[in-house]
Amino acid sequence: MDAVIETHELHKHFGSIHAVDGVNLSVKPGEIFGLLGPNGSGKTTLIRLLIGLLKPTSGSVSLLDQEMPNKAILAQVGYMTQASALYEDLTVRENIAFFAELCGGSDKAMMDEIIQLVDLQDRSHSLVRTLSGGLKQRTSLACSLVHSPRLLLMDEPTVGIDPQLRANFWDYFRQLTERGVTLIISSHVMDEAERCNRLGFMRQGRFLAEGSAAELRSQAGTSSLEEAFLCFAEGSIKGGRA
Amino acid sequence: MSIRRVMTLARRVMRQVLRDRRTVGLLVLAPMLILTLGAILFRSELAAIPLGVVNEDQGLTSPIIGDLQLGQRITDELAANKIFSLVELNRDEVDERLSDGSVQGVIIFPEDFSVKFQENRQAVLDLRLEGSNPTRSMTIIARVTEAGMKTLAGLVETGFGMLGSPQTGEREATLPVSVNASYLFAGEEFDMMDFVAPVYVAFLALFFVFLLACVSFLRERTQGTMERLLATPAMRVEVVLGYMLGLGLFALIQVAVILFYTVWALKIHYLGSLGLLFLVIALLAVVGVNLGILASAFARNEFQVLQFIPLVIFPQVLLGGTFWAVSEMPKYLQPFAYIMPVYYANQALRDVMLKGWGLLEIWPNLLMLVGIAGVLILLGALTMRREVA
Repeated sequence: MDAVIETHELHKHFGSIHAVDGVNLSVKPGEIFGLLGPNGSGKTTLIRLLIGLLKPTSGSVSLLDQEMPNKAILAQVGYMTQASALYEDLTVRENIAFFAELCGGSDKAMMDEIIQLVDLQDRSHSLVRTLSGGLKQRTSLACSLVHSPRLLLMDEPTVGIDPQLRANFWDYFRQLTERGVTLIISSHVMDEAERCNRLGFMRQGRFLAEGSAAELRSQAGTSSLEEAFLCFAEGSIKGGRA
Repeated sequence: MSIRRVMTLARRVMRQVLRDRRTVGLLVLAPMLILTLGAILFRSELAAIPLGVVNEDQGLTSPIIGDLQLGQRITDELAANKIFSLVELNRDEVDERLSDGSVQGVIIFPEDFSVKFQENRQAVLDLRLEGSNPTRSMTIIARVTEAGMKTLAGLVETGFGMLGSPQTGEREATLPVSVNASYLFAGEEFDMMDFVAPVYVAFLALFFVFLLACVSFLRERTQGTMERLLATPAMRVEVVLGYMLGLGLFALIQVAVILFYTVWALKIHYLGSLGLLFLVIALLAVVGVNLGILASAFARNEFQVLQFIPLVIFPQVLLGGTFWAVSEMPKYLQPFAYIMPVYYANQALRDVMLKGWGLLEIWPNLLMLVGIAGVLILLGALTMRREVA
């Protein structure tokens, strides 16, 4: 397999708004690919297009060598939404078990392992309603991991969580890539991006630039990614968007 | 206490209400819709009640006045009354026509009707009634009696009163017209509550299950789990069916409790099998779940769910044959009844409870309920596409 994700000239228009405007993306197995861009740059729309929740206006998506939309392949894909989407009246464990079952079932050992990974052993029988934001976020991550996906799409997974938990999350992510899982992570926090293998700068539905953090910095001739992003963004404005 | 702060709050509240255009529209339109429907139904000239007449009366010839065909006279009087549309029948088709609903009652004049009248000074009208609707039975009895009295009064004017006048003292004991009513279904011991109970039960089952489904499905959409569900291999129809089964269980428990309470505690009369009643109500509950799921797509919050009560639930009660028989409603309202699940449930329940009918007779209504549920499941699944796209 060459690429886990492959898109070709992907467009999504909502009326006159071009939320995704011609994206060609190719992500290799075991990579952490970061989608970086300000709010409203089309990150969430792109992720929803990738997973088949949205129908492209034009262009194509394939995940794990399967043309999307494809319900069956979703059993091998994990998805973590921006806000934690959990059943408040169920316990942590019940939530995780529910999503595991939908993706083809899971054994107790796997459940225990995942709960341990996100460090929720002590709260696994608590109702989600009673959890703090950070614990909910961890539960959410566990739900998207429990079926051992080969590809994990995460929409701003570390937004609104404290620095300690953020560091933990990145530990989990690295552990996952060691198992060969491919990760797509969207973020608008530039310092996180350093930890990705490859980055795509997104603005107004397009990729401004693509490459590793070091490559992007040197291309822009700046010392930080933030400056690099601004530099590319300016360039795109000067270059005009006919 | 600051008036200014109160006004600030009031202004904010008003602004929020005004921003929810649908609520504002509904505040005005929903009461008008309900009132209009009520006015139409209460005021409309009810369609004529089909009344069968079996006239075998041979009449009599009196030396004083000549021929008297009393059966025919009363028939003419009834024909002049707009409340009935008369159908001439033979004696042996009476029950059959009552049973298929083509007549609601039959008045029978036997061969010696006029002769008996002369002998007894009393016209005894044999009335065979369909019986499942006590109000209608009473209307028919009252109107037929009235027509009989009028006819006799007419006889007095033409000088027949001599013949009709009683011998001494008898008159006080008996009225000149008496009705001898018999019932095909149900009968006298069934009261209005017995008539309304089946649909009461149906309505309750539909109403609560509808709200439950609508709110829980709405929550699924608003808390974001719907999006997560759709990003798994689960298909939309599977989600809807899962809801149907999950909530369906509680609906069945509720139905069983309602039914038990109605029959044993409230002592409602019923004829047919309880199991069949349970089946009909359970089917309606399934329809309710799916109606709730479908409706939840058009609500942004719990408040908007409540707004469906005047829009979705009330019209079903008014137009579904709960209090007004659909066949007696104005013609242009009748088509609406046929798209309402409550209408089919009402019919099936009344047929079972009041007529004692079985599966063999009521299956077309059950089939319609199943069909409606199927359509709603598909529509519910389709609205989920709208949600994510």
